[in-house]
Amino acid sequence: MTKKTDQEQGGINRREFLGTSAAAGAASILPTRSEAAPQAAAPSNGVPLSLPPTDEQMARELGDTLPPSTMRAAQRPGSDLIVQVLRDLEIEFVASNPGSSFEGLQESLINYGEIPNVMPEFISAMHEESAVDMAHGYGKSEGRPICALVQGTIGLQHSAMAIYQAYHGRAPMVILVGRDDKHFLQAHTADDVAGIVRSFTKWDAHPETLAEALPAIQEAYRQAVTPPCAPTVVILDTEVQKEEAGDIQVPVYVPPVIPTITEQQADEIAAGLMGAAKPRLSVGRFRTPEGIKRSVELAELVGASVETKSQVGPMSFPQSHPLVGPDADDESDYVFGLEASGAHAALHGPHLRTLTERDLTSINFGGIRPPVRPRRDAPGQNDLTADAEASLPLLISAVKRRANSESRKTVVLRTRHHTDANHAARLTAIEAALEKTREGWNASPVSTARIYAELWPLIKDLDWCIGGPSRFSSSHHMQLWDHDKPYSYLGGHPAAALGYGLGAATGAALAARERGRIVINVQTDGDFNYTPGALWTAAHHRLPMLTIMHNNRAWHMELMYVQYMAGVRGRGTDRAHIGTTLRDPYIDYAKLAEGYGVKAEGPIEDPTKLAAALARGVDAVRNGEPYLIDVITQPR
Amino acid sequence: MTSMKIYADKLLMTVSGLLFLMTASAQVEFGPISGDAELGKTSYYDYGCYGCHGFGGIGRKNLANDVSGIMFREDIFLTYLRGRSELNPLFPTQSMPNYPADSLSDADALDIYAYIRTFKDDPPDVEDIPALKAILDGAKAQ
Ligand code: HEC
Ligand SMILES: Cc1ncc(C[n+]2csc(CCOP(=O)(O)OP(=O)(O)O)c2C)c(N)n1
Ligand SMILES: [Mg+2]
Repeated sequence: MTKKTDQEQGGINRREFLGTSAAAGAASILPTRSEAAPQAAAPSNGVPLSLPPTDEQMARELGDTLPPSTMRAAQRPGSDLIVQVLRDLEIEFVASNPGSSFEGLQESLINYGEIPNVMPEFISAMHEESAVDMAHGYGKSEGRPICALVQGTIGLQHSAMAIYQAYHGRAPMVILVGRDDKHFLQAHTADDVAGIVRSFTKWDAHPETLAEALPAIQEAYRQAVTPPCAPTVVILDTEVQKEEAGDIQVPVYVPPVIPTITEQQADEIAAGLMGAAKPRLSVGRFRTPEGIKRSVELAELVGASVETKSQVGPMSFPQSHPLVGPDADDESDYVFGLEASGAHAALHGPHLRTLTERDLTSINFGGIRPPVRPRRDAPGQNDLTADAEASLPLLISAVKRRANSESRKTVVLRTRHHTDANHAARLTAIEAALEKTREGWNASPVSTARIYAELWPLIKDLDWCIGGPSRFSSSHHMQLWDHDKPYSYLGGHPAAALGYGLGAATGAALAARERGRIVINVQTDGDFNYTPGALWTAAHHRLPMLTIMHNNRAWHMELMYVQYMAGVRGRGTDRAHIGTTLRDPYIDYAKLAEGYGVKAEGPIEDPTKLAAALARGVDAVRNGEPYLIDVITQPR
Repeated sequence: MTSMKIYADKLLMTVSGLLFLMTASAQVEFGPISGDAELGKTSYYDYGCYGCHGFGGIGRKNLANDVSGIMFREDIFLTYLRGRSELNPLFPTQSMPNYPADSLSDADALDIYAYIRTFKDDPPDVEDIPALKAILDGAKAQ
């Protein structure tokens, strides 16, 4: 299999074989390369003309014209095997906005197999950006991919920013892209379809045959879950989907071998941890929940105090574990980082460096500065580039080998010490946070702190996940709630790109639906309005997603910037609302939600009405229905 | 605004800053109010003070229950509003904007002052707010 970029350069272009009108009208048998006569598509210089669509093509794209009947004659359509590959990979969902370039695959998704449309289940997205955001939210929450399925060129462009964000977010996902080069509208096909997202995807392929497509999807999956995790792309031509599979077998998936530290390195770190008087672990974000489990085992084996990132993002150490807390004595003599910095040693999985290492086609953002490099902690002197999660079993064995009766006693004492110190520290922190939370408690519009405070007693005994970013509602959960699950909080906008919260929460809710979990999303109004259609997806698929509007009636961040700018220039802030506020008219989010089929209430301005509304919302989502509460809030 | 003026403003700021420290420690009373609080409410909104200070003065920098001294007297308040021109236009932050007199008149500013002086945040104690008490009890029980 060759990547499209290599293959197309100087190679043969399918359009040269498939005249547009000929292909649309005369396909009584599946045309092979040599059969379909070029009509006007390829002038002698090899550059295809950009032809306006024929009437037939337009009818096909816009109307209800069916594809030529012989296209459906396959006994064992290629796309059935594609679905089988996805099923074997246990891909739960394919989030998609329909497109004729993948009608073959879509038909297989909904009809193939004894129990069709399960693993994967076809999820209807209103916008390709939402589809990818859903994959992003799901990927963050579960540490494994689902698919987004989008139409070539156009659908992929719609999804591009979301892919960019997922790339920054190190979210694993496989993006399947339909490509129709036969009945194509010129505008819907391209030689190098993946090119527009190559700068911010990890890997892509454009297989030419079904036999190549099946392992390509497996490779895309493997690449997506191999650190650094990221979105990958497979372009699927219509022929590949519709092709008769004959006796092609679905290949066996081979999981990736993930590089770890060596046994010797593990032993050195174990010696450091065991030899220290006050060891400490600094834990960042693992790939999957397995990493968390292993880090808990390591911390407990050593009796180390632990710093977690679980309040700020997914897949970190459980916050209310007794070993978690500030370094009580502030004098750890061995700090070890797991996907986080550590003064004495740290394991960081590899970085993504796509722009320079991958983008050979100059399709990038105009040669912007060095690689788009998802932010991490500043590198330390003793960093090892190796996946922490995969390395942990080696470390655990090394620590166990070094343990003896003396060290076990030390661990007991240390653990007791940390447990007491951390409990006291947590209590002090909560008391301080509650004093802050109390401020403006009875204010109207409602304080954002009150939203989080009133929510906590309602959900604390449930299995919950905060699916969307919380920063603009001031992230009060970070101080008030306990983040003990891999998915407690899925984190902010990784590329600070708006239009994400609703889609990400919807994806998290897809994961939540079968797992007895509910998803909370304190949703800002500006972010909401890019892709509100995700609400319908939540209604349609009965997703347990509670959306609480942080409705400050503004792109408030930008309002503050413009105010400041006007202030600096001494021109007054009385016009700063222009282009930064969502007034005149106000948006009625409850009505909007109801229009999409989501039960809703609000706007709530009176803070005393909030708790009862939240209780109704939590009840609804526990019963497997999405719910929206519009709350008119203080700006932050 | 000339750089001399900026300098003068900064100087004033420093002087009044010292004043606050002295007055604050001596627990000086709040000064008189000459503006119209009702008009001030409109201007507080129109000039976007709510944007960073919240609708009732609880925000990034609380104006309700303020004890820093800036809100003690009208003249100090005005000096503060006018004295923030040191900021670098190329690197805006979201700190308090500058309000020269030709962008916010003394009269409007004093109305706003009067309105801010009406702010009182008097929330119940943590123990008396069921949700907050539940959080506290939960933390204690852990
Ligand atoms: C863009 C955000 C922003 C806006 C708009 C804004 N402020 Fe401020 N203000 C701040 C910040 C931040 C501070 C804290 C000091 C600092 O960081 O400069 C502050 C401080 C103050 C203080 C001093 C409080 C103290 O006691 O220390 C007063 C008084 C004040 N602002 C009044 C106003 C008034 C009146 C308006 C509207 C005319 C206004 N502010 C608009 C951000 C803002
Ligand atoms: C795609 C995209 N467009 C524009 C921006 C610039 N931007 C940053 S914050 C913001 C406003 C956010 O509004 P909202 O989501 O309501 O949050 P608020 O600031 O009001 O709390 C905008 C438009 C962005 N970050 N991403
Ligand atoms: Mg907003």
